[in-house]
Amino acid sequence: MTLHIALVKIGEEKISSEKAKKFIASEKNGAESIFVGKVRNENDGKKVTAVTYDAHDQAVIKSFQAICNAAKDKFDKNAKIFLEHAKGYASVGEISILIAVGSGHRDEAFKICRYILEEVKNQSPIWKKEHYADGKEEWLPGHSLRPMKEVK
Amino acid sequence: MEIQLRLYGSSKILSDKDALKIELPNNSNIEKLRDILFKIISEKHPKSNLENLPKTAAFFSEKNEVVNDNYKLKDKESISIIPPIGGG
Repeated sequence: MTLHIALVKIGEEKISSEKAKKFIASEKNGAESIFVGKVRNENDGKKVTAVTYDAHDQAVIKSFQAICNAAKDKFDKNAKIFLEHAKGYASVGEISILIAVGSGHRDEAFKICRYILEEVKNQSPIWKKEHYADGKEEWLPGHSLRPMKEVK
Repeated sequence: MEIQLRLYGSSKILSDKDALKIELPNNSNIEKLRDILFKIISEKHPKSNLENLPKTAAFFSEKNEVVNDNYKLKDKESISIIPPIGGG
């Protein structure tokens, strides 16, 4: 198996970099690239305490598959890819996304990692609500999936 | 006719439940749904900051595919509203 994708419900499971490293390990690969995204304590001058991630589960999994397969086609068909994203309430410091790639060479490993991250942001129906220290909360603006030709 | 609008992201402000039942004239399409949604937000949630949502949202069919404005809705159909996304 060369691909692992999942939406991880916080509180029920944990995103683990050890699990990711084990998954991508292979003697055929000369490079491993791992990206870990975490909830940070500040955004736009506001003190953030946590983020709630909402997701359209089925469409997210479908998009993850398409993105990872496209990355393999584009950069390295034999790459091993691990991709998990959090769903639910994540406190500051918790992992929101983990991408791990095992590939023959460093260039492909870096490129696949970066490609997957940007495409998840562009394609996967996931939303963030930030919770602030003053008790307020806010859904963050994002990238519209409405076909551009329809926007008047 | 009536459809079920499954709510995600910021659109969850529109209801405490996961979905909103919306009455529409027969043979309505997504464009009509956008109009009705604009009315609902203006009348029931004027301070929600969602006034741009009907324009910026995409809609997914039950097959989890984006449907365009001409897509004809069916009675009792379940449609997902997809506000602008931002994971990662």
